Amino acid sequence: MELKKFVKIREEKFGAVIFDTLREKVFVTNETGKDILNLLKDGKQIEEIIDILKEKYEKNGDEIRIDVNKFISQLKENGIIT
Amino acid sequence: MELLHKIDFKDLKAPLFIAWQINSECNLGCLHCCEEAGHSMPDEMNKEEIFNVLEQIVDLKIPYVALSGGEPLLHPNFFEICEFLKDKTSIKVETNGEFIDERIAKKIANLKFRSVQISLDGATPFTHERLRLGGNWEKAVMACKLLIKEGVNTEIVFVPTKFNIQEIGQLIDMAYSLGVYGVYTGKIMRIGRAAQNWRMLCPSEQEYENFFAILNEKIKQYDGKMKIYYYPYDVIEELKYRLEYPAASLLIIPNGKVKLIGPLPFICGDLKKQKLIDVWENYKIGWQNPKVREFAKKVIEQPKLLAESNKWVEL
Ligand SMILES: C[S@@+](CC[C@H](N)C(=O)[O-])C[C@H]1O[C@@H](n2cnc3c(N)ncnc32)[C@H](O)[C@@H]1O
Ligand code: SF4
Repeated sequence: MELKKFVKIREEKFGAVIFDTLREKVFVTNETGKDILNLLKDGKQIEEIIDILKEKYEKNGDEIRIDVNKFISQLKENGIIT
Repeated sequence: MELLHKIDFKDLKAPLFIAWQINSECNLGCLHCCEEAGHSMPDEMNKEEIFNVLEQIVDLKIPYVALSGGEPLLHPNFFEICEFLKDKTSIKVETNGEFIDERIAKKIANLKFRSVQISLDGATPFTHERLRLGGNWEKAVMACKLLIKEGVNTEIVFVPTKFNIQEIGQLIDMAYSLGVYGVYTGKIMRIGRAAQNWRMLCPSEQEYENFFAILNEKIKQYDGKMKIYYYPYDVIEELKYRLEYPAASLLIIPNGKVKLIGPLPFICGDLKKQKLIDVWENYKIGWQNPKVREFAKKVIEQPKLLAESNKWVEL
């Protein structure tokens, strides 16, 4: 999974802003969304992302898994990642 | 966590978009030019001042910058500016295309722009050149061809006037055969020289109706093949909207001053003297300034006042 070309991400105090500058569309997300995007940018796979977030947020794995999968499918639906 | 569209510009630490008119010099004298471009301003930013702003754009991680003018390719530091921003932000360049030959197209391809927008105001030389005084349609079309050949994301911008509005369908077909990424259009703005030539240029309601009908047809015809985008609002409707929802963007003019928005005369900062981040804060406050809100409301009632947009007022 990779960020589409010309998609830019900037950290903000609420999380992150995602700007698809090619299609001129802006999205925002919270802290966890920001973490997932950063991990995706580092080339991490879904399972690794889930493990890292489980530890960071001390949440149970199933909850995190649902959240991460949902977020990633939203990113795909909105053409932010391929 | 949710991926959301709603954004309040006041929550952002810096703008998301910079529209930068890097110069005022131009080789053309378009009848509709919103910038009244032609000669350089006496106090345009020098190279050092420009690079100071560029560094701030990169530090603040501003994701998207549009370089315009005047004619930006006439700026002596144009390529150095682009080189500096390359890979750090998405760059769009707005140009009349007349200085793009094979060598320049290759140079542009190496800069990996988000896109180059070429202004093409007609499907025929006569129409284009009637509006774009001193312009050369063949050169603008050639620029599209050369850029596309080099793999540059190329877009065409068309401004409708009484002279050319009926050519939109033909222009879109031509754009598709050239292989452009997209065609952009919207109502002509009543500012700058367009305000002076308004009666000669402004299409009638009927002409606009046909224009948008053709656009809607073409959008269907080229669905999935080529992007066709039109902004359906005129500058007054845009102003009404922006009073409620200002854009997360700054408009820099060649002397380093920053305008609140193109159609209003208000200046909210000076990048020769102030930091970009401070100008961003002034911009946020500027929209609440009673002087701005009252004048904007007057403009909405009397669109003739749009002719004042290039007579700057410092906030
Ligand atoms: C001011 S020009 C500067 C860049 C370059 N010289 C060019 O013409 O493309 C930027 C864009 O604004 C468009 N434009 C100029 N006057 C306008 C007006 N009154 N209303 C809407 N668009 C306008 C031009 O056609 C061009 O596409
Ligand atoms: S629209 Fe562009 S090419 Fe025409 S006069 Fe203005 S700056 Fe020059």
